[in-house]
Amino acid sequence: MAGIVCGWHVLRLTFAGSSEERAATVRWWGYFRGPLGAWTCVWGAIAMLTSAPLDDWWHQAYGLDVKILSPPHAVLAQGILAIQLGALFMVLAAQNRQHARRTGTADVGADGAGPAERLLPWMAAFAASLVLANFAIMVSEYTWRVFQHGPLFYQVVCGAFLLPLVAGAIASRLRWSAIAVAGLYMAFFLVLVWILPLFPAEPKLGPVLSHVDRMVPPQYPLLLIVPAAAIDVVLHRWNRTRGWGLAAVLSAVFLVTFITVQWPFSIFLNSPLAHNAFFAQHLLPYMVGSDWALARGEFIGLTSGLGLARGLVIALIIGVVSARLGLAAGGWMSRVHR
Amino acid sequence: MMRRSRSLLGLAIAVLVLSGHVGNPNVVLDGNAGPYPVRVVVRPPEVIPGQAEISVRALDEGVTGVTVRPVRWDLGVEGAPRPDAAAPVEGEPRLWSASLWLMEFGSYSVHLAVTGARGEWTLIVPVPAVALRVTSMPRSLAIPLIGLGLFLAVGLLSIVGAAVREAVLPPGEEPDRRRRRSAWIARAVALPLIVLALFGGSKWWGAEDAAYGRKLYRPPAVTSTFAADGAGRLLTMNVEGWSGRSGYLTSPLLPDHGKLMHLFLVRQPGLDAFAHLHPSRVDSATFAVRLPDHLPPGEYRLYGDILHESGFAETLTDTVRIPAATGTRSAADADDSWLVGRPAPGSAHLPDASSIVRLDAEEPLRANVPTTLRFRVFDPAGTPAELEPYMGMLAHAAVTREDGSVFVHLHPGGTVSAAAQARFDQIARGDTVRDASGSLVSAAGHPPGHGGSPGSAGMLALPYEFPRAGRYVIWVQVKRENRVLTGSFDVRVTD
Repeated sequence: MAGIVCGWHVLRLTFAGSSEERAATVRWWGYFRGPLGAWTCVWGAIAMLTSAPLDDWWHQAYGLDVKILSPPHAVLAQGILAIQLGALFMVLAAQNRQHARRTGTADVGADGAGPAERLLPWMAAFAASLVLANFAIMVSEYTWRVFQHGPLFYQVVCGAFLLPLVAGAIASRLRWSAIAVAGLYMAFFLVLVWILPLFPAEPKLGPVLSHVDRMVPPQYPLLLIVPAAAIDVVLHRWNRTRGWGLAAVLSAVFLVTFITVQWPFSIFLNSPLAHNAFFAQHLLPYMVGSDWALARGEFIGLTSGLGLARGLVIALIIGVVSARLGLAAGGWMSRVHR
Repeated sequence: MMRRSRSLLGLAIAVLVLSGHVGNPNVVLDGNAGPYPVRVVVRPPEVIPGQAEISVRALDEGVTGVTVRPVRWDLGVEGAPRPDAAAPVEGEPRLWSASLWLMEFGSYSVHLAVTGARGEWTLIVPVPAVALRVTSMPRSLAIPLIGLGLFLAVGLLSIVGAAVREAVLPPGEEPDRRRRRSAWIARAVALPLIVLALFGGSKWWGAEDAAYGRKLYRPPAVTSTFAADGAGRLLTMNVEGWSGRSGYLTSPLLPDHGKLMHLFLVRQPGLDAFAHLHPSRVDSATFAVRLPDHLPPGEYRLYGDILHESGFAETLTDTVRIPAATGTRSAADADDSWLVGRPAPGSAHLPDASSIVRLDAEEPLRANVPTTLRFRVFDPAGTPAELEPYMGMLAHAAVTREDGSVFVHLHPGGTVSAAAQARFDQIARGDTVRDASGSLVSAAGHPPGHGGSPGSAGMLALPYEFPRAGRYVIWVQVKRENRVLTGSFDVRVTD
């Protein structure tokens, strides 16, 4: 859908767009014109379509894969990400042109001043939160609640979540943009956690290790909203939005605040107190046996001592790199006008 | 004097071996679901997880529906999903077909629930779930995919260039030289990154392919040795590679009609000597059997059928050179049997002057078409013979293709071992008690479809589906007047 709509959009702009509309586009292969986000969406749609026959052959050759990341799924994930980024770029372009008009920093033409325009920073935050959710799904094999007292979990979170969170926080021009991005990510998953179990379902494929009679929701969202608030505070007080120093501070602040809330929260999630409709931790996929750690609420992996401390230092370093990339991406995205 | 023989063709044969039989992926079964006689053919998938194709033909009237359900040996019915309904096949009365997902490697049984005028009854069919081969991508798919991949790579470079060159400019402003140069630099930096990503992706693919290759099913390797002592020729089989396999492949062996292994020896290349022997177990990895002295020396292919407690049947294969006999001792086990002689197309004359005639010999045999091999046994007077059970079955048959790429041990019930069926039946009932002799006994006696009653006027019907075209030899073994008789038949199968 996104590919078709954006494809039509760029063709229309190339052949029939007004000079004002064409002013707000980028050139493609010298002749075609369209917003950068539209080209990204088209690319993403083609990537998704390419992954389909590859995935089909993959299943015939290697069987139906029951893991998230396989090479054809990775191509699909790139395509989905590209579509999300394309949407984000298009929203950002509109938001940044509006900002430039308001602050008089550039002659960016008139886009109109309807109600939708006022929502642009929120739309940008929403698009960024979908990218964050995409990253969350890609690393979901490592973020189960039974891993949340081990160093690998924190390394994965610092690596995968800091980049989109920081980039989205800078790109969206809301005052508390990081909280908005993290909050919308949380809302997206909470809706699934609350709504999916309302539908009855049963396993159609075996082996069935535990019986379930309703749809099983995805993992409970991480409490990113607290470290997101800390990120916002840091970004408000820092002079610039670039630099390794800022990245280091962001990573440290993120890790400290995140571990402070997620460590005890994961104890709660693993306990019987979370076995209710609000937290839904009693609903596990049918291929999870009752003797598995996930069913018994036991933690797996290094949970204390020098190994954990060393792992957390590595997580911090990974976070610095991720935050630095996020700052660079966010900085670029805040300058996208087309 | 010791002779040593390695599995020369073992590797080639191993590629084609499929649980319980060589070169026969499909399970063919004639059995009874309660009062309903049915013919079942199961085509297991070649990759796991994959779909098994099941076809059920009701052999008489009264059946209104069929459901199928995959039940793994260690989880039983509790660990099985809801049954799937089989759909009636258009234009074919009394034929149903279903596709069933087998999600994990292991020893499975398919529970066929047949419904009809006389109620709902279940027949259990053992089905192995293992991956057998690796496919390669056809050119017709690879070339367009490579084309799309290149297009995407070029597209990504263009997006990067456009992003650096123009996306950050206010609308209407043209990019200056510095900006255009930055765009070229950005593309020059992105290109090696894209190439690196593609290279990494191809390495990842290779790793997944290799991991899958390791999961392919392989029977354990066998090393056969001979020792000729005063008591005759002793064949010792040493089985390697038992350890490190999954649980369903290392569960203890179950005796099938009192025998831990049914060993078949077939002489090459003329297929003119055959033996059906029953080795005894020396230790956890070694079997030994004394060869009957009537068996001539030569190059033989060896097939050893074993059954695990998981219900998974395997065939161990090897090639051996058998030395000449030094005496005239007869076989060690009273149930051992052999035949020396060339196969004939239509009828076989047996040592006690009785004969086995192949019925419908003029009908052509086609590969991949379910068929029934029919024979009739006549006593020396020419009247239909009264047959006695030979190891619990009305008849045993061994079918092999002349190059050894196909081998199967058949019964009137089909390709399935009755002991495997009894084992799954026992699992389904939750009963794990064995009787004193260590062989499985089900409370209701032998499971349905066991092999017909003795004395059925010498008629034998063996359901089978030939997997490939070629020349085959079928040895049919029956018991008459306390003597095991073997006849061999030459058949040709076309496509």
